[in-house]
Amino acid sequence: MEVAQGALLGLVVENRLEITNCFPFPKHDDTMDEEEYQLDMMRRLRRVNVDHFHVGWYQSADVGNFLSLPLLESQYHYQTSIEESVVVIYDTKKSARGFLTLKAYRLTPQAIAMYKENDYTPESLKNLKIGYESLFIEVPIVIRNSPLTNIMMSELSEMIPEEEGCKFLDLGTASVLEGQLRSLMDRVDELNQEAIKFNRYQLLVVRQQQEKHRWLLKRTQENAARATKGEPPLPEEDVNKLFKPHPVPQRLNPMIVAGQINTYSQHISQFCSQSLAKLYLTQALQNAKEAKQNN
Amino acid sequence: MSRFFATGTDSESDSTSEDEPVVRAPAPVYTFSDDEEETKRVVRSMKEKRYEELEGIIHSLRNHRKIKDFSSALASFEELQKAYTRAAPVVQKEENGIAPRFFIRALVELDDWVTGVWTDRDGRKQLSKGNSKALTSLRQKLRKYTKDFDAEISKFREQPDLPDDDDDERKESSSSDEFEDEDKVVTKPRRSPEPPRRPPLQDDESSDSMDWGSSSDDSSSSSDDETRGATTLRERFLKRTTERDDEEEQDRRKKGRRKEQNRKINKKDQIDDGGEWETVRKGVATSDKPKMFAKDAEIDAALVVKKLGEVSAARGRKRTDRRAQLELLYELRTVAQQHNLGPALQVKLRAAIVAALFDYNPKVSDAMKPEYWSKLVENVDEMVTILLAHEDMVLSETILEENEQLSQAPYRIRGCLLTALERLDDEFTKLLKECDPHSNEYVERLKDEVRVSMLIDRVCQVVERDGTGQEICRAYLRKIDHLYYKFDPRAVRKDLPPGEETSIKKMERLCKYIYAHDESDRLRTRAILSHIYHHALHDNWFQARDLLLMSHLQETVQHSDPSTQILYNRTMANLGLCAFRKGNVKEAHGCLAELMMTGKPKELLAQGLLPQRQHERSKEQEKIEKQRQMPFHMHINLELLECVYLVSAMLIEIPYMAAHEFDARRRMISKTFYQNLRASERQALVGPPESMREHAVAAARAMRRGDWRACLNFIVNDKMNAKVWDLMVGAENVRAMLGRLIREEALRTYLFTYSHVYASLSLKSLADMFELPRQRVHSLVSKMIINEELLASLDDPSECAILHRSEPSRMQALALQLADKVGNLVDSNERIFEKQGSFFQRGGAARGEGRTRDRPRDSWNRRTRNRRRDDERSHDD
Repeated sequence: MEVAQGALLGLVVENRLEITNCFPFPKHDDTMDEEEYQLDMMRRLRRVNVDHFHVGWYQSADVGNFLSLPLLESQYHYQTSIEESVVVIYDTKKSARGFLTLKAYRLTPQAIAMYKENDYTPESLKNLKIGYESLFIEVPIVIRNSPLTNIMMSELSEMIPEEEGCKFLDLGTASVLEGQLRSLMDRVDELNQEAIKFNRYQLLVVRQQQEKHRWLLKRTQENAARATKGEPPLPEEDVNKLFKPHPVPQRLNPMIVAGQINTYSQHISQFCSQSLAKLYLTQALQNAKEAKQNN
Repeated sequence: MSRFFATGTDSESDSTSEDEPVVRAPAPVYTFSDDEEETKRVVRSMKEKRYEELEGIIHSLRNHRKIKDFSSALASFEELQKAYTRAAPVVQKEENGIAPRFFIRALVELDDWVTGVWTDRDGRKQLSKGNSKALTSLRQKLRKYTKDFDAEISKFREQPDLPDDDDDERKESSSSDEFEDEDKVVTKPRRSPEPPRRPPLQDDESSDSMDWGSSSDDSSSSSDDETRGATTLRERFLKRTTERDDEEEQDRRKKGRRKEQNRKINKKDQIDDGGEWETVRKGVATSDKPKMFAKDAEIDAALVVKKLGEVSAARGRKRTDRRAQLELLYELRTVAQQHNLGPALQVKLRAAIVAALFDYNPKVSDAMKPEYWSKLVENVDEMVTILLAHEDMVLSETILEENEQLSQAPYRIRGCLLTALERLDDEFTKLLKECDPHSNEYVERLKDEVRVSMLIDRVCQVVERDGTGQEICRAYLRKIDHLYYKFDPRAVRKDLPPGEETSIKKMERLCKYIYAHDESDRLRTRAILSHIYHHALHDNWFQARDLLLMSHLQETVQHSDPSTQILYNRTMANLGLCAFRKGNVKEAHGCLAELMMTGKPKELLAQGLLPQRQHERSKEQEKIEKQRQMPFHMHINLELLECVYLVSAMLIEIPYMAAHEFDARRRMISKTFYQNLRASERQALVGPPESMREHAVAAARAMRRGDWRACLNFIVNDKMNAKVWDLMVGAENVRAMLGRLIREEALRTYLFTYSHVYASLSLKSLADMFELPRQRVHSLVSKMIINEELLASLDDPSECAILHRSEPSRMQALALQLADKVGNLVDSNERIFEKQGSFFQRGGAARGEGRTRDRPRDSWNRRTRNRRRDDERSHDD
């Protein structure tokens, strides 16, 4: 999926991060050096006396499937080089329906530790006590407009006809839900694949263990026989040479997929509760209307 | 005139022909005739030998100059240098170190020629890359080399017309630049009463090949009789040079012949210095015909046969000159004709000529030359005529040489007409493949097809008369090969006058004979395939299909030889087209699927090679594959094939996709089509369709929406008509059929996709919507109801289909699907957990638990399976 990305500029003030400006990254194209572009951009902003400290980046997302490997990676790099940086996720679909959705995230210390170790085996993940829910922490966002913007907004709100802007009472839920269900299904499939992969790994390990066991047994018997003959026993360390441990499947991707499923599910349940409320509301209204007509 | 002219340049001169460095000794051609030439050979001195060598190279250099073959000229020049170095000691000894005049002359000529060409910029630009490169390097090398001979060259330039061996003239040295002394040259008086043979030749050349041209002007400015002498001489040599030109053109194609001719010309030079030059032009055969028999010998059949034996004994030997052999055979035939030695001998001689003609082309993979091919046809034709004219003549390969009966009535001759015919036909195909199929040449060649067909017909008559069953089968198969791919408009006409034999009937007759009498499976298989092909071509769908099904060829064909497989593919392609024309879309798709699935129908039908990828095949393989290619006029239009395939796939796949939208594992019917559709759907922006494929995909997408009108417009429009549909027989019918089918399938798709939003559907409005007759809609809807594709019942009085809302809504279906998937996930997760426990215990895990855990998933599965039935119940859950 194509996503829009850009840099956030601002300052740390006391215990909060103020984001005052931003600019988009160019679309991927080979003729331009992205880094060069960013530096250029910041240099120019500095000249016009705008905040020019890089404090993070933003990315567009669809419904909430923003969680991905590249996102994790870039946020890790941001956070390790610029301590205070955040990633702001802007949900285009939801915003288009009238719900402005902006969310800011930071990686948790565990996630950073995990990345530092660059080891995604189940063991290490267990030791770090990290799961999909503890990859990110959400940072609350407070939006502040300049007084000028506020004035314009209030002016605009007067210009909007009364009927408009009630889209949030829209009862057509099916299409939204369908889309989300489809995406959810894809993710579940993917996670299932990962589970199967892990399962297969387990099977292999178990089989290897058994073989090892058998081999050791045989070796001890042999050694016993040799001992009766008075020969020196064969070493038992060969077992590690004979049976190479299987590579452990990486668990990062399943974790991300699980995180995505989590966000989808949250979205769906949120959407459903809202829709239900709307339906009850409408029902009440309808009943009242009918009662009025009957009277 | 120097001595070395007297001996003539013989084989050495040929050895310099640079395209073939291997020196072949002249073939002993005249072994049968006389060997007076042999006596001419003399022991030559070192000087002669060296000079001859030089002379030969110079000669070929001249030839190259004439045809502007720079690369060859460059090679010759290098050779000349080498030869001169070799000759240097001799020069030192004999001529006191002064380079022989003819050598200098050659250098000057070459130099002038090169400068001439070099200055002609336009001409230079037109040269091929290799040639211009050669020209540059030749120029450089020449400059370097001529420096050594500066003095001699300038001297020569002052008196270019001196006889070659005249070198006692002393002139003051002039500048080395050629163009500066041009004027000087012009003013110099000529003094050569009897110009030697070479110079005029060179004059002539220089005047037409470059703008130097001074010497010819000079000669005209000198005394009268000398001019006359020069002109006549020039004329004489003009003739000769043109002749040599001809010769050269042939040269490039043939070595042996040229060698022959060169030799002859040289001989002529020696014998009659000037006289009968016309006879030389006429060619070898007439000039000095090999003498076959002693003048007074009594020529009878036995003698001719003996001679024939002699000639053919040389056949196939390495050093045999095939052309000479051919001439001998022709001569022998004329002799036999003159002496009226009977038809049988004629046939035998013709057979020998045919064999020699086949031999003439040394490479099997290349086609023989058209003129030889037509000679071949003539000869075979003549043989057939004689055979047909004489009832009692048998030509067979089973007759041994010694049992031949050539002189009287029940003639028996050894030979095989059929093999000759087959070979001839193959050569014809090769000839066709040789030329560009879009050129007039191809058309010209193709005209010969009639000749070949007629010949085959006549050979069939002969073979029918006295061949075995198998031979008749072979002959018939050849006939079939020329018949099966041709569309006979009479065969599809209804008002056919009775008694006229259409090609279908002819095929029927021939094939049936083969079915009955063939002993090798191969002929029968080919006959069946051709038969099916022919039926399919004429829209006899049922006959074609039945024949195919009866033959069970589908199972065995992969074990047969490639050319049969190609024929099978061609047959299947045509069968598919036929099925499509008849409106049997499913069958059409079935026939074509195998061909199109691989994505390389071009190769499968042997209609061209795919571009090479990473040396997939070796040179030999490619050669073999090239041999298998079909000639262009037998090709099946690939675009038509693909279009038919895509359209039939669309008509099947789209309703199927609509019907099985929620099936977890739905199969694709046509992978190729599906991929095309997917690719188009994935595109962000779809432009208006351009190619045939894009049209088909756009139509499919329109059909998915149930928009049959757009679909039909994409399939049937001017562009597609021109590209595809007009190529079909009965294009109008096909278009009408397409319209009907598209409407029907679009209706089905529509019902599958949108039935859930309806409570009831009026058949009348459906009929209006899809512009179909109401009965047709009725039957389609009924069929869908019966097949349980549409859960509805028909209400007759109101003409409505009442839909039963038992189908889960799309949302529900999705939810169910999700539940299924989550169930799977839970299952595999639990399995991981179970193992995790056993992982640490390091022992056999208790597997019994798994069974109980499986149950919920089982019930999920059952639910999805019977979700139509107990949908209500599952909602209550």
